[in-house]
Amino acid sequence: MAQAGASGRRGQSIDPHEAKEAVLGYCLKKGALAAGVADLDAINRIAPPGHRPADLMPRVKSVIALGVGGQTQGAWTVPAKAMAYFGSTETRAYTVAYGLSFFIENRFKARSIYCPPDLDNEEGPRVPLQSLKLHAELAGIGARSLAGDILLHPEFGYMYFASVFTELELPPDEPMQTNPCPAPSCVDLFRKQGQTPCMKFCPAQCLSGDIDEHGQQAAMHYEMSKCAELSEQYEALPRILSAAMAAEDAAAREDVLSDVDNSMFWYKMSVGSGGLLAQCFECMRVCPIATRSPLADPIRRAEAREAAANQDGTA
Amino acid sequence: MTFGLSKDQIGVTESQIDTFGELIFQLSHNVQDRRGDPVRRKDFTDYERQRAGFGMSDAEIAERIGLSKAQVTAIRNIVERRKVRTTTYYRLNELGGGKRFRADEFVAPEDRPAPSGKALALRTALQFDPDRTRHYVGQCWWGNDTLGGWLQRHAGERPDHEAVAWDGGTLSYAELEKQVATVAAGLRGLGIGSGDVVAVQLPNTADCLVAYLAIAAAGAVMTTIYMPYRTDEIRPLLAHSGARAFVCPPQLDDFSPPQAVLSLKDDLALLEHVITVGGAVDGCIAFDALKSPDGKRTTAVDPPVAADPFLLLYTSGTTASPKGVPLNYHTMLSNARLGAPEHGFTANDRLLSAAPFGHLFGLYSIHLALAVGATMVLLPAFSPPGLVQTLTALKPTGLFAAPAHIAACLGMGLLDDADLSSLKLAILSGAQVPPDLARAFDGMLPNGSVSQLWGMTELQAGTYTRPGDSLDVVAGSAGRASPGAEIRVVDENNTPLPAGEEGELQVRGVHLFSGYFDNPGANAAAFTDDGWFRTGDLAVVDGQGNMTLTGRSKDIINRGGVKFNPLDIERLLDQHPRVAQSAIVPVPDDVLGERACVFVVPGEGDPVTLEELCAYLLENGIAKTKLPERLEFIDAMPLTATRKIIKGRLKPSR
Repeated sequence: MAQAGASGRRGQSIDPHEAKEAVLGYCLKKGALAAGVADLDAINRIAPPGHRPADLMPRVKSVIALGVGGQTQGAWTVPAKAMAYFGSTETRAYTVAYGLSFFIENRFKARSIYCPPDLDNEEGPRVPLQSLKLHAELAGIGARSLAGDILLHPEFGYMYFASVFTELELPPDEPMQTNPCPAPSCVDLFRKQGQTPCMKFCPAQCLSGDIDEHGQQAAMHYEMSKCAELSEQYEALPRILSAAMAAEDAAAREDVLSDVDNSMFWYKMSVGSGGLLAQCFECMRVCPIATRSPLADPIRRAEAREAAANQDGTA
Repeated sequence: MTFGLSKDQIGVTESQIDTFGELIFQLSHNVQDRRGDPVRRKDFTDYERQRAGFGMSDAEIAERIGLSKAQVTAIRNIVERRKVRTTTYYRLNELGGGKRFRADEFVAPEDRPAPSGKALALRTALQFDPDRTRHYVGQCWWGNDTLGGWLQRHAGERPDHEAVAWDGGTLSYAELEKQVATVAAGLRGLGIGSGDVVAVQLPNTADCLVAYLAIAAAGAVMTTIYMPYRTDEIRPLLAHSGARAFVCPPQLDDFSPPQAVLSLKDDLALLEHVITVGGAVDGCIAFDALKSPDGKRTTAVDPPVAADPFLLLYTSGTTASPKGVPLNYHTMLSNARLGAPEHGFTANDRLLSAAPFGHLFGLYSIHLALAVGATMVLLPAFSPPGLVQTLTALKPTGLFAAPAHIAACLGMGLLDDADLSSLKLAILSGAQVPPDLARAFDGMLPNGSVSQLWGMTELQAGTYTRPGDSLDVVAGSAGRASPGAEIRVVDENNTPLPAGEEGELQVRGVHLFSGYFDNPGANAAAFTDDGWFRTGDLAVVDGQGNMTLTGRSKDIINRGGVKFNPLDIERLLDQHPRVAQSAIVPVPDDVLGERACVFVVPGEGDPVTLEELCAYLLENGIAKTKLPERLEFIDAMPLTATRKIIKGRLKPSR
């Protein structure tokens, strides 16, 4: 729990509950459907070493999770290959989180970061730097489903999540009291066919599980490797090149490289290259102009604005 | 390389990969298991118990099993590469918009069989002129018509409409479609797939129809075996076609087709299955088993398309050995679709074929019926009483018959009192229609008329008279070219002749095949440089485009430079009371090049002499230069299965 009378970096007295109300209010105003504060102690008990919030931000005191709507209703009706292009919806969550970290620094003068959603590839297959899922679940804005632990919310369904770490102390929320998964109709199908809809219709057939006599999740089995065959397409690139190199002749090589499925990867690589590649930033981290110019620091910018406003008021 | 280190540097060996690879894969996030809801309940004890199931990082795995983290990472990476495929995006291509993935219907591309070499050869044989193809598609003559597509459309639009009717039963379009889908799935279960040839020797039964449509639905190719064929005729057709299955009845009179073909299996490397219709035979698959309702209904992995071959028919071979004619949907079904309105057929019609389905004329009736969703009325095997009974009982509106069928009924007086009121069109084909027969039969149809059609295995319906044509046109010609087709008559220099002049009939159009299968010699002779097919028939085309066959170009006799067509002479001779049947062939002559030799099957009375025949012909206006100069008696003419005389086998004694 956040302590009353907690202070921001600049020493102002901040009421954690008021701060939390402001933080969550910001999230909802900017488009999040749900937001909450995760129990940092619980995260530290569950996340393995190297993937705890303090591993990323040493003085983190609170983890804020927010979720934005997954898809429009119309999107669920379009062909699967077209829907694949809607996958960038999660960037809306990142945008809110990114803005929230600025908001907290501006408003409460407490250092904050937008938690990178990316993978920590050296640690295992598709292991994230930080588990946004864990943050959201502990913040009470989603519960693990039978569909590969995708989080579901009883009101907002399927959401994209983002997290913000901050040195501002905020009182944590509790996980949801009940898990909306499986839905009664899914239980019915499971009783009849031994599969819930997500298991039955998964193109990779990567899901299985069990439901107890109360209609609650008893077991979830998820073969991420199979799922990744379909969904983690970046893994295809080296294999396509490898297959091309191993091709028997020039014509077969061209077949591999120009295969219609494979061409989708080239397309995505081309489209995504601006946002997905060359995102190192180390040159900027060490650049004094970039980081230490008078108004490069958002907190300084805010202080400057406030100072200017006070001066005008005095005048 | 892992973290810049080679396998050797971090001590990873193949044996280590074999030993730990699967374990590391299972412990990693590649496979995740969760029991209950420990995270939401913040039950850290339970979570710790399950931590391995949730998926462990490489560092955790390393700690757990006693390897270095670099070794775990390297091994995991290698195992993932070997186990996990990444080009499965195609699975999404057909999903969404209401269509869900069905594991029981999905066949991965790597599991789809490639067409056999024979099947690919069949496709290769279908090489059409690109300019004409563009023209046909541009005119919407060629589209994506398939038998399966037509059947599904009718089953969907009018499921209860009668599709098949025979003495003893009916099938609605929905029932027919269901049976066809079940048998097609059964055939696919036998490994019969795209482009595979299935030989069929069946009478015109509902099972024959289902077999034909199921073979097509499976993407396979049907080759028909004429019902009179026995072992010696069947063997070369199965060998040349490369048939993978043979569908037949258990018994035909004293001949057992399944036993005969089973005895040939050692000689026929590609033949795998013998399927019997109407009874079980040891070593064979029962067709009824394929029709079982327990049979799994699955969608073809690659449903046939119009460019696919679906028939491999053999010419009747009047002058040479039968030639294989591969046919695709484009040619055959465009011919039927465009032809149906020309004949005046609609979904309300009931089409009966007295011609066997083993012959393209019989199949044409099926194609027409399916083009419009009409009812197919079945007569399993022709007999004059059977035909008349079917006409009376099942009330077809369209009849497809050979002149011989009608002649037989007329000869027995069966049509005199028959109720033919249902017939609105009787299409006669398969042989030259005697004008008197056409007139006589036309006069017996109170609500209909006769049409004369000329076709070939190579092109299905080439020309036909239309309803509304005068009786003179119907009795005297085979009508005008079918829609999308052209005909012309040329001289020996391939120069088109004006109307009314006799020459070789040539054809091109949407219905024309692209070439004989595996027969480059025949193909070289069959087509002109500009794509016209040399039919080998002699014909005259009148000013209105009506075509009349006058003979076969190969029957022409060149007597010292005077060329003549013996057909008229043969017709006269066949009317002689002491001649049952005649055929005139050329015999080599040192002086004149060729002379005419007449083969005669004796008729009533004493054998006729050459002098008597010549006198008879002169009396009937035949020029002296056309008179036969030799006479040979023969007990019976060598006939094709379609009752045409094989003149190539008529060799005069020395």
